[in-house]
Amino acid sequence: MATTNSYQRYHIDTIPTPDFVPWPNKFDVKVNRPQLAKLLISEIIHLKGDMKAVTSRPCMYGTFSGPIGGFAPRPEHCVGCLRCTVQHPKMVTITRNADRERLGDSYFTSAYVDAVSYEADTGSIPVKGAGYRGKFGGEGWDGMWTDMSEIVRPTRDGIHGREFISTVVDIGEKPSYLIFNDNGEITSAKPRILSIPVPFIYDAPPASAASSTLNEILARAASETQTLAVMPIDGDEWSVVSDQLPVQSIVPLIKLGDESTIEHLGFTPSMVEIDISDDPNSNFQNLISSIQSQFPDTIIAVRLPYDDPDNLLKLYEIGVRVFHLFADFHGRGQDGRFVLDLIREAHLTFVEAGTRDEVTLIGSGGIIAAEHVPKAIITGLDLIALDTPLLVALQAQFEGDCANRKTSQFAMPKNLPLDWGIQRLKNLTATWRDQLLEILGAMGLREVRRLRGEIGRAMFQVDLEREAFAEIEGYLVEAGD
Amino acid sequence: MTEEIQVHLPAIEKHVEHLRQGFSYWPTLENGMPPALGDYRWPAELILSTWYQAGTGEPPVNELEYRSGDSGGGFDKLDFKFLPEGDQLPPDAEVDLAIPLNSSGFGREIEIAVPWYGGGMSFGSVSEQVMLARSMAAKEWGTFTCTGEGGYPDSLVEFKDHIITQIATGMFGVREETIQHAPIVEFKYAQGAKPGLGGHLLGDKTTVTVAKMRESVPWVSLFSPFPFHSVYSVEDHRKHVDWVKTINPEALVSVKVSTPTDVDMVAVGSFYAGAHIVHLDGSYGGTGAAPEIAKKNIAMPIEFAIPKVHKYLQSENIRDEITVMASGGVRTAYDIAKAIALGADGVVLGTAELIAIGCTRCSNCERGRGCPFGLTTTDPELSLLIDPQWGAKRISNLNASYAKQLRDILRRLGLKSIRDLRGRTDLLVYLNT
Repeated sequence: MATTNSYQRYHIDTIPTPDFVPWPNKFDVKVNRPQLAKLLISEIIHLKGDMKAVTSRPCMYGTFSGPIGGFAPRPEHCVGCLRCTVQHPKMVTITRNADRERLGDSYFTSAYVDAVSYEADTGSIPVKGAGYRGKFGGEGWDGMWTDMSEIVRPTRDGIHGREFISTVVDIGEKPSYLIFNDNGEITSAKPRILSIPVPFIYDAPPASAASSTLNEILARAASETQTLAVMPIDGDEWSVVSDQLPVQSIVPLIKLGDESTIEHLGFTPSMVEIDISDDPNSNFQNLISSIQSQFPDTIIAVRLPYDDPDNLLKLYEIGVRVFHLFADFHGRGQDGRFVLDLIREAHLTFVEAGTRDEVTLIGSGGIIAAEHVPKAIITGLDLIALDTPLLVALQAQFEGDCANRKTSQFAMPKNLPLDWGIQRLKNLTATWRDQLLEILGAMGLREVRRLRGEIGRAMFQVDLEREAFAEIEGYLVEAGD
Repeated sequence: MTEEIQVHLPAIEKHVEHLRQGFSYWPTLENGMPPALGDYRWPAELILSTWYQAGTGEPPVNELEYRSGDSGGGFDKLDFKFLPEGDQLPPDAEVDLAIPLNSSGFGREIEIAVPWYGGGMSFGSVSEQVMLARSMAAKEWGTFTCTGEGGYPDSLVEFKDHIITQIATGMFGVREETIQHAPIVEFKYAQGAKPGLGGHLLGDKTTVTVAKMRESVPWVSLFSPFPFHSVYSVEDHRKHVDWVKTINPEALVSVKVSTPTDVDMVAVGSFYAGAHIVHLDGSYGGTGAAPEIAKKNIAMPIEFAIPKVHKYLQSENIRDEITVMASGGVRTAYDIAKAIALGADGVVLGTAELIAIGCTRCSNCERGRGCPFGLTTTDPELSLLIDPQWGAKRISNLNASYAKQLRDILRRLGLKSIRDLRGRTDLLVYLNT
């Protein structure tokens, strides 16, 4: 029986972990030196040699506090407040650094890179003043708002810590009923199920980023945050470190045709993922049986692209209960639809079949910011497999546009320190969980499991706009209603 | 202003002089626009045109955009269908901008001369100088400003007839006399920039003076928890109203709420609980620090909430018995008019006032010593960058420009009163560009 001493509240230790590789400054600072010299001379005269006043600088952040002040500005300190350029329009020019704005790609834009970097660096939720700065709405995630409750809020976590919001999710089979014999013993197969304290796992890195060091970072960070890391186990990256990894957090990723690798695994995994994306219609029941006979308690997930509903139901019929559905890194499915629609379709497929509560839907692709997690869950996922945000947290550079999972090129920093990488991922996981708590708290929900598929907890731009603006001349032309 | 200050005044004076020159110079565009200034909601042009208006009391005469932003939605997708010139009111026609704040038919009648008042910004989140500047401008314009939840500095008492006392969940600085001072008491149930998350003043900004005002401990972070833990129903809210009425029977009651899906029901509930004003605070505004995830993602923008509430109150036959004020991303005179055309009676301004007195929207309000322009800071040296008289003049000038533009908009629509614009979506056009 649990005692009061046995209760341990889930917590991720965050530690500031600054960038390992210096990234371009956010701002460039240019000072017109002759103008500055003239200003100084004029101020020395005007202020009658009061050097404290003369050398008092407009920057509070140290941009002009080097040994020779504004003659050699230090742009790495600039936060873009623009006070210097407001005070001295002809002398100081602040521009956004184009190199910084080139980080990421067309989907994982530099603004998202900045957010993930900040989260991985500080372990803190990004907090800023002066309101929202972005576009009004948009497509995909940007056209969706989450609801809040005005007064009903007995739960509050993160900040006040008095009450508890659960972010635990379950992965595995969830049969709708159990069968008991006359003696009250369960005679049906015991469901294989696993609970993790956060609704995200770490997905296998793309080939261009894979390395034994990255595998170890992912596995150890997953272990320390009590989640899972999916990774291939058939390459050099695996064999180099396999005996050093915390195996309880590793989800071996097996491709069709690589069945033999599971026989030499050397540990009992809590979950195995079978990648059938190359041939979603293949017959892999033998593989499932083989794994199940070797590891009777192991959960088996099937990894495939968001697919047509009929195929999902066929997989259900042959016993698949855990689905890892993926889009490309830009959140697009094979038919070009955005992941939000794809998640919804998959979720509703099982809802309409009356089996949604029996399956687990894991999703990846296009989920690159903390706010995308609750939105993806509202749309219908149980949990998320994080992909590119993990790479960005580790300061990966995108080489061109990185949408395709197989061909995208990510350049990881050389000589990644293990402890640095683990802490960066822990910080990211902690801040994404904290931000999920904020969303759940605002809704008055006590647990994330209750958020799954709760589309009524979301508001969509297209609906709100129609409701608000339908009577306004010109609206119907664009909306096409 | 009792904090011990050790500042070098000649240095402050030097910076003040340069700053004021900059606020005047940049809108002339002689040096182009500051390349790093602005964002989608407040593009550089809108910030510079606000500085221009704050300096002159007039809309810009150069090409600076002063009517809308570049957000691609909401107010920025709407414009007015002005009448042909021959059908417009003559330029010298009298146009009334006043709105009543108590439409209930009972109790004290309060009218404001312009259809806006200032939103809550607490002592601690902004300096006392900023509060004073806003209060002076409110008095000059026959409208209000709001204390926010941080107490009522003594220096504001002489402006008490133009100050709304806010009561929020932390009850910071709420005293009987501050409620008795107030013509209007505002219950803040939620705020748009951080709906459902409560307030948070970082420890660095809880100076000795701020802590004393809030009856708390210096240098310790202060939380206003969400929600009121004494309110779980409309009936509980009624209890709050009764409590205020016991202390100040003459006060009007405003209820500040965010914009959830059921914001229409919240508004109706507020009415039946005895509120005179329901203040809808949409998610895109706010001056204080807020988690980035909250600003964009929780609750709906004000442009959608206003017509939803307006229509529902109409369907309940109570629209003319309660005043609807809207905030959360109202940036210009044109935004004010659009909000009213969508169904609000008036609006509540915050960011626009701060930009008038120097905000560049750099979002560094919470970093280190606070705002580098002396606005959202309690740093004794930085706050001296704002002289209350100068700030009041800037805000008054902005008000003058807004009033002039609103009169012009109404005249071109053929309306003699701002009250006639309420809910007139037929005068709007949706821009498909």
